[in-house]
Amino acid sequence: MFLLEVANLHQKYGKKEVLKGVDLSVEKGEVLALIGPTGAGKTTVLRILDLLDAPAAGKIYFAGKDVTRYQRLRLETRRRMALVFQKPVAFKASVYDNIAYALKVRGHNGSDISAKVSSMLNTVDLADYGNRNAQTLSGGEAQRVALARAMITQPEVLLLDEPTANLDPLSTSMIENLIQRFNREYETTIIMATHDMAQGQRLAHRIGVLMNGELMQIGKPEEIFARPRNMKVAQFVGVENIIKGTISSNDGGVVSVDVDGKTIEGISDYHAGEEVSVCIRPEDITLALSKTSSSARNSFPAEIKLIASSGALARVELGCGFPLVALLTRRSAQEMGLEVGKDVYASFKATAAHIIKG
Amino acid sequence: MTEIGQGFVKALELIISLDPEVMEIAWRSLRISAASTVLASLICIPIGGLIHFRSFRGKRILINIIQTFYSFPTVAIGLLVFLMISRAGPLGFLGILFTPAAMVVGQMVLITPILLGLTISALSGVDKAIKDTAISLGATEFQAIWAIIKEARYAVMAAVTMGFGRAISEVGCAMMVGGNIRGFTRIMTTAIALETVRGELELAIALGIILIGLALIINVVLNIIQQRYT
Amino acid sequence: MKKKIWLMSLALLLAMSLVAIGCPAPQLVPDEPVPLLPALERVRVATTTSLYDTGLWAHLEPMFEEEFGVELDVLYAGTGIALEWGRRGDVDAIATHARAREEEFVAEGYGVERVVFAYNYFLIVGPADDPAGIKGLGPEEAFKRLMETGAGRFVSRGDDSGTHGKEKAIWREAGFDYEVVRGAEWYIEAGRGMGPTLVMASEEQAYTLTDMGTFLAFKADLDLVPLVTEGDILLNVYSVIAICPERHPRTNIEMANNLIDFLTSPAIQRLIGLYGVEEHGMALFTPAAGMEGK
Repeated sequence: MFLLEVANLHQKYGKKEVLKGVDLSVEKGEVLALIGPTGAGKTTVLRILDLLDAPAAGKIYFAGKDVTRYQRLRLETRRRMALVFQKPVAFKASVYDNIAYALKVRGHNGSDISAKVSSMLNTVDLADYGNRNAQTLSGGEAQRVALARAMITQPEVLLLDEPTANLDPLSTSMIENLIQRFNREYETTIIMATHDMAQGQRLAHRIGVLMNGELMQIGKPEEIFARPRNMKVAQFVGVENIIKGTISSNDGGVVSVDVDGKTIEGISDYHAGEEVSVCIRPEDITLALSKTSSSARNSFPAEIKLIASSGALARVELGCGFPLVALLTRRSAQEMGLEVGKDVYASFKATAAHIIKG
Repeated sequence: MTEIGQGFVKALELIISLDPEVMEIAWRSLRISAASTVLASLICIPIGGLIHFRSFRGKRILINIIQTFYSFPTVAIGLLVFLMISRAGPLGFLGILFTPAAMVVGQMVLITPILLGLTISALSGVDKAIKDTAISLGATEFQAIWAIIKEARYAVMAAVTMGFGRAISEVGCAMMVGGNIRGFTRIMTTAIALETVRGELELAIALGIILIGLALIINVVLNIIQQRYT
Repeated sequence: MKKKIWLMSLALLLAMSLVAIGCPAPQLVPDEPVPLLPALERVRVATTTSLYDTGLWAHLEPMFEEEFGVELDVLYAGTGIALEWGRRGDVDAIATHARAREEEFVAEGYGVERVVFAYNYFLIVGPADDPAGIKGLGPEEAFKRLMETGAGRFVSRGDDSGTHGKEKAIWREAGFDYEVVRGAEWYIEAGRGMGPTLVMASEEQAYTLTDMGTFLAFKADLDLVPLVTEGDILLNVYSVIAICPERHPRTNIEMANNLIDFLTSPAIQRLIGLYGVEEHGMALFTPAAGMEGK
């Protein structure tokens, strides 16, 4: 049984449809990242999941129970979850009182609250901050207080809305560590919205791509990045090589795609004559100085148009009848003596050519 | 001018010598207005919170009506309360007409719109995210309202102070439902009204000075609250 | 922790506010406890302003309170308002001076019995230069003169009080329609008690009708002199009426009767007869217990 499940979720703000039938389910202990561009509806989904807003249509099940409407059940269920907002606000009170709030409203006694809050302050590395005015904290500190405030009741589900937006790298990694720690130590189920795909990849067991109110694709991170379901997802998850063409033949699942007279082979069920796009991840492309007899079914002579380095990697833009971007280590680029204008062979496997419609 | 001058000097003498009658009237004014302000606050602040918190049809109109009642004539309220609590009225069985309790009731009715309206606008100044945060952290509706009120505590205090100011400076209602009975329901404003027309100017001036002093203090307190905390 | 402090301060405030209504002032006036609910029995009398402004009630109130162990609340009102409060049952007794209306009040069943306890006389006072020249005239002639000459101004109580009623009676006897009189330019309706009306007449240098008691009590602060003092119509009889318990069972009839007995007792009658002699050189009232014909 899923811990949290939503079916056919619709939401409207005025006339604007912000969710158009989202289905989603998470298992206990799972970390799910919702990625998508700004305005895709990520926050809306989180607010509905936390039972803050009621959906225009659709059902929410918590531990199998329909909690969409009944007020009593909603409070009870809400108390098993916690949501950290994108821009968390602190109550005009001390850090201690902020973190203690969820316990107070649940009627815990003073000594219990005191013990739990001090332990939580240690966990988020703010042990000396108890008496500080919560409104005078830095962004990173405020975010940790917000996280501590949400986690103080050890909720079964933790909902995070862009938990590291606008934070410096150090604070970001601190928050990410805490998220992982809560997930491991308390088996907290976590659903987080983020526009940072790398963060989703680092933290999540599964990623859901939400675009324009629709859940485009959900699956393991590598699946999303290697095999985006459609063009929009492919573009959003950063597939750099998207090449349009037409299928010329399908030979038992191996298709040939005609791209301006060149032929790319890939694996697909589409039939001859269908318009498709071929997605190739830059890191799946290998470069060689001479035509090799590798197992790669696709190999094209190409001219280097541009080399840009980013960190330890070199990004090489090629022209081979169609534009292609390859990613390799800077070291191998140097060893091969790559430079602009040089002719190379670009190869990739048929399995690296992911073919989508359109 | 000599009349005013002499009246003033005598009035100051009355104040400085802590004249029992002046002090007794001033003290009664304070107690009655404090009581009505506290009791009205206990009713109005939560209700104001509820109005702010919930969204319902006609909310805007309701708030407009409340604001219209800020300056509702005090004698009209006095008449209304008199008709309610007079022995011949629907609440006559309480037997509180011409008692301090009646004055407290009258002042409560009088300052309810101000307390409600200013509480609502005080709470409107609170970040909307506070409500979501409280609810998300498991607060019930009333716990969330309380959290919002606590966020706006200084503005709410200012509202209460305004209410107290209106209560203690009001004369019509207190006169009509209190009866201005010496030693029982005579407060500063009713005493000033009576003593001025009877020509007992020293007492009227002395009480007037105290009343103005109180108004001054209330304003200073309001300013401090507003400057320091908003 | 914090929550408790909030709750405690809330409870404290609540307690304070209740105490505030119910407790006596801190020994500023040691002999005046002020309870919210009648811990001490209370009796309430609505009195005509002329009795109040002379200070007679302030003089008698502590004696009554001591004798009967009760709080006497004296409400300052004109006869009209006093009668209205009596009809509504908001007071236990009324002390007024308008015979016809009092008898009507009793006849309607609101009052038990009209008990006369004092009288004095009305008089017409005005500025010493007497622009209308009414000095020494009878009251009706004086009013005629005012109407005919239109010289000087006249301040009326204009508050439906006993004095106001008397004034209207004099206008009637003088042969004028009161509605015409009140339309006159020189006629001012004060809408206030006797003392305040005198103060106003003095400020305006106008004529007014006043009872002797209040005039004497205020004389020192007034720039007015007596002009018309004789005439049968100027008799001013004060009576006290207990509110009928059959009409208003919640009124304090026992104490109202005590108040009537007190006012008509020989000792208090003597005090009433002496009231003001020391200060003004003459009595403000004549005791009149038993003179029911007046």
